[in-house]
Amino acid sequence: MFKKGKSALFIGIVLCIVCGVAAGLGMAAEKPFTFGLLLVGPYNDHGYSQAHFEGGQYVEQKVPGTKMIYIDKVNPADRPGITITQLVDDMAGKGAKLIIANSDDMKDGVREAARLHPKVHFIHISGDDVLTGKAPKNLSNLFGRMEYGKMMAGFVAALSTKSGKIGYLGPLVNEETRRLAASCYLGARYAWEKVLKKNPADLKFKVTWIGFWFNIPGVTLDPTQVAQNFFNSGYDVVASGIDTTENLVVAKQKQQAGKYARAIPYDYKGACKGAGDVCLGVPYFNWGPSFVNLIKSSQEGKWKSQWLWLGPDWKDINNEDASTIGFAAGPALAADAKAKLDAFVKDLGTGKTELFKGPLHYQNGDLFIKEGSKATDKQIWYMKQLLKGMEGPSSAK
Amino acid sequence: MLMNWGGRLPVNVTDSSKINQMQLSKSLLSGFKLLLNGLLTLTVVFCFTTLILLIAGAPPLAAYYHIFKGSLGSWITFGHVVKTWIPLTLCSTGLIYTFRIGLWNIGVEGQIMMGAVFSTAMLRWGADWNQPFGVIGLAYGAGISGGAMWAIIAGFLKTKGGVNEIFAGLGLNFVAQGLILWLIFGPWRRPGVASMSGTEPFPYELWLSNWPGLRIAPAGLALAIGAIFLTALILKYTRIGLNLKAIGNNAQAARLFGLNPKHHMLLAMLFAGGLAGLAGNIQVTGIYHRLLPAISSNYGYLALMVVMLANYNIWAAPLVAFFFACLNVGSIQLPMALRLDSSLSGVIQGSLVLATLAVQAWRVKRNK
Amino acid sequence: MLNTNEDETMRIELQDIHKYYGPVRANNGVSLTIASGEIHGILGENGAGKSTLMKILSGFIHATKGTILIDACPVKFENPAQASLMGIGMLYQDPLDFPFLTVLDNFMLGLTDGLSVQADQFRNQLNELSASFGFQVNPDIPVQRLTIGERQQLEILRLLGLGIEVLVLDEPTTGISAVQKQLLFQALKKLAADGKSVILVSHKLEDVEALCDRVTVLRYGAVTGAMESPFDTGMLLKMMFGAPPSQPLRKAAQSGSSVLEMKQVYASGGRSGLKDCSITFRQGEMIGLAGLEGSGQGVFLRVASGMQKPALGEISLRGARIKGGAFPAFRQAGAAFLPASRLEEGLIPGLTLTEHYALQNKSSKFLIPWAQAYQQAQKCINLFRIKGQPQTFVQTLSGGNQQRLLLSFLPDKPKLLLLENPTRGLDLESAHWVWQRLCNYADRKVCIVFASSELDEILMVANRVLVFFDGSIIKDVKADETDADELGRAIAGKCD
Repeated sequence: MFKKGKSALFIGIVLCIVCGVAAGLGMAAEKPFTFGLLLVGPYNDHGYSQAHFEGGQYVEQKVPGTKMIYIDKVNPADRPGITITQLVDDMAGKGAKLIIANSDDMKDGVREAARLHPKVHFIHISGDDVLTGKAPKNLSNLFGRMEYGKMMAGFVAALSTKSGKIGYLGPLVNEETRRLAASCYLGARYAWEKVLKKNPADLKFKVTWIGFWFNIPGVTLDPTQVAQNFFNSGYDVVASGIDTTENLVVAKQKQQAGKYARAIPYDYKGACKGAGDVCLGVPYFNWGPSFVNLIKSSQEGKWKSQWLWLGPDWKDINNEDASTIGFAAGPALAADAKAKLDAFVKDLGTGKTELFKGPLHYQNGDLFIKEGSKATDKQIWYMKQLLKGMEGPSSAK
Repeated sequence: MLMNWGGRLPVNVTDSSKINQMQLSKSLLSGFKLLLNGLLTLTVVFCFTTLILLIAGAPPLAAYYHIFKGSLGSWITFGHVVKTWIPLTLCSTGLIYTFRIGLWNIGVEGQIMMGAVFSTAMLRWGADWNQPFGVIGLAYGAGISGGAMWAIIAGFLKTKGGVNEIFAGLGLNFVAQGLILWLIFGPWRRPGVASMSGTEPFPYELWLSNWPGLRIAPAGLALAIGAIFLTALILKYTRIGLNLKAIGNNAQAARLFGLNPKHHMLLAMLFAGGLAGLAGNIQVTGIYHRLLPAISSNYGYLALMVVMLANYNIWAAPLVAFFFACLNVGSIQLPMALRLDSSLSGVIQGSLVLATLAVQAWRVKRNK
Repeated sequence: MLNTNEDETMRIELQDIHKYYGPVRANNGVSLTIASGEIHGILGENGAGKSTLMKILSGFIHATKGTILIDACPVKFENPAQASLMGIGMLYQDPLDFPFLTVLDNFMLGLTDGLSVQADQFRNQLNELSASFGFQVNPDIPVQRLTIGERQQLEILRLLGLGIEVLVLDEPTTGISAVQKQLLFQALKKLAADGKSVILVSHKLEDVEALCDRVTVLRYGAVTGAMESPFDTGMLLKMMFGAPPSQPLRKAAQSGSSVLEMKQVYASGGRSGLKDCSITFRQGEMIGLAGLEGSGQGVFLRVASGMQKPALGEISLRGARIKGGAFPAFRQAGAAFLPASRLEEGLIPGLTLTEHYALQNKSSKFLIPWAQAYQQAQKCINLFRIKGQPQTFVQTLSGGNQQRLLLSFLPDKPKLLLLENPTRGLDLESAHWVWQRLCNYADRKVCIVFASSELDEILMVANRVLVFFDGSIIKDVKADETDADELGRAIAGKCD
């Protein structure tokens, strides 16, 4: 017993020696402006994380002398034992001057890391630390006004549904996801009531939350299963609020099985690819331009801590050099619906159509926005509940 | 027909100086053999992992370099290694008790989780007492008792119900995981939020304080080192240690020596669970500052491998744990620097265990 | 499979075999020759190196030095499988079978290619073989339900099925009944007559004398002599021990107060369990438990010592009721138990002698008095003449030394000693020594209960005999009022 123990001890020692030898083989590297990217999901998830990844690549292309380092699957389930602080330490160790963290989930970690690395600039996507005053000076928040994208998604969903039942595949419940689901509903209700001239009471809009941004077996609900349930219980359009594209896959299966099924993915411009016949279109983030602006300001010493909530470029919401969010119409979208969508987008841009306008009520009947007034950014950002007319829990029970 | 009359015992047992001399040369010889075995194991592991890296299309030398650089390349990364080492060592130390008595405490994962849950409960409860030190102190106690309680349940299932501790442990792991998810989605959710990303972080004063510049909590480090020495002392000099070993090797005969195997099994589970619970506490107070579903970071399963690789030796276990911690922390460099999947570090750890077992088996066979 | 052919016979020569375990020389230059068709005895006390030598011959371990020649051709076995391919098969002291598989499955192991299962064919072969030796083994019951003797028979049949030419048996008469022994000897003689060689390793003079054509005696790892039949017993003993040991005397029964009382005790376990057992044992009695292996003696001893909980019935120790199965209370009341399987139930493999004494020593509650334990180990090694050192691991001791070690653990002032086959596997000298120790206890009016498979031993030392048959005590007599014949009939279930 003791003898064998010694052998293990030796293994330990010798392993350390081997590591020491490996250290001798140093590698030299030149010093460009390095920025880091912390992605919550896989860099090629055809969703949220890939949109950020491509935003980073856009920066490398447009701003000479920049270099991206990234680490994906940054969540405790995929990488047990890893903390944001540790990853930021690593990236800072590799010379990163600016670090972008792309998930709401990283809020606490990024704030902690920003305190520990005052010379590194941080951009926390989707956060509100600057608004709440918790952010140190080297931390900014950035987000896109995806509310518009979701309104467009809801709009085409309502135009395309035959049963009048729209399902919404929600991630976890928080302020962001509530307002996005609500926006989708507002877009759908607008199309139903104002365009199709139908009775709003006949429109069913149901939200099912899975518990996280993507499927974690055994921890979240299985999004494939949730999408199946939607289609099997008469919902024929399922819009996604999660980072991955299960709803498309399921819709395609249903379509092949002879059912009418349509899906709207989320986050990533190329998400419709390969699922054309069921994809109505995708509201997406286009991070490139805003990343370029922030990185340039950091490079030029013009950095300041700010909270940015950037909308689409109404001249052309799909302009990849200017618009932070966009909506790419999918091949399954009918031509007349497409025309109606274009008109809708135009009206949104001019302010002729304003959806966050009173009277709006919360799910429990409380007044959200009173008759005749428009919601402020803060009111929208900090929505307390889903809206009246939507099915599904507004928060955890 | 008498032949060759008068065989004699070849060793004169009363000549003690001769024996000492012999033992010295013997220990030198065995030391040399151990070194040889260590090198052999390393070679096997090295070849195997290199092969895997080549298959994965990675330059092996660069991969080893980055793993090293990412773990021991700077004080900060070293700090992260130690931060991983602390809970891993606490769990390994606890598992030594249960392995000693022949129990496979697979439930160690759940014990970490329950330690984390109990600690979180304590910290939430005491958050507004304005007594941060007192509350953190109580949270240690809560974590230890949470882990110990979970272990004791498995122990009772084993001793009273005859349920194999492996199955009981696995079952309890699932229950603990379910409980954490329920707490995070339910009673302990952030206001207005339902997310598996965890509870609201504790107020800053309830975090385990770190050494400035490093990412190590001195309290956690002291506890881990204390646990190692205490365990070594208990195993070597106290009745508990000897009794555990005796029962582990032959429970039937141990009864003849007046030992109660069931009581000792519960005792070993108590130690293992308590230490795992302490690890859970440190995960909560020192690392994540909140409760999250993956709070155990799989350190329990990893610790099982550590202890097996260390051949159930209390002094070897911290070293192996340190090596595993280096791999865990350093392997994040694989995707960052080489765009490789960091789960390769799991492959390296696994092949290390397999190679060691293979070399040991080969040695045993050869000695026969 | 059993056809004899002169060409198949083998002559085995061992030349200058050495085997060292560290400083211990288990074999120190052993040379001997075994001709075909011969029953060759290897005689010697425990620890003389007999088992080591045979393990080398059967490929289980490698010699440090020396050559094995088969038909004058040197061979080297890497493992037992190679040895059995060459025709050498060994029957170990503890059968190496698979207790949960059936007899037939065990027989087929190693015979089938693992792909096609021709169970019927093997069933026939097994039945034929076993009939030719007069064995009666049911092919369909699990091996764990067989007696040691039956397991041995199965193992012999299996080895013959493998086509071995040389059969090595290590202490085969230990733990088997007289009838089984007779069967075994007949079978071995038949094998020798068929031209196969048989090597019988034993420390029992009577077995060797009854069976062997030729005997080689080992002592301290070296050959001390060889002899051909007919044997001179005195000479053999001299070769084994240097001087022949003397025999202990049976003590007259003394009658004292009741030590152990059982009323209608039932318990499960073993082959037959224990049924309706009511007895009283008194101070100073030396009680021998006779019966076929597994007829209830083992269960009885375990129940009486508190190791096992009875299903029904009352037990009293020294006049006071005691809860069955509460071993610590039994121990407190002065009962001590020595199991037959020393390494399985009595000692703790992986622990040293010192560690055993530390377990035994209860002088401090929390810390281990290592120095005291070490001294105690030294003292007992000298006192009990154990061939080992305080830091020796118990599993490396020979059977006799393990038994001495176990005896050294017995409390100083017990009231009731319960011993299961205390001299099983021991050489004559050790057995004699054991009985001397035990008689010391008897002199101090300790009640001693022992099970033994050898009637001679029981009649030699016990003053009261209980015969177990199928879980019940069917005879309870004073030793001087009975004889081996009567007891033998009772063992077979025939009571007058």
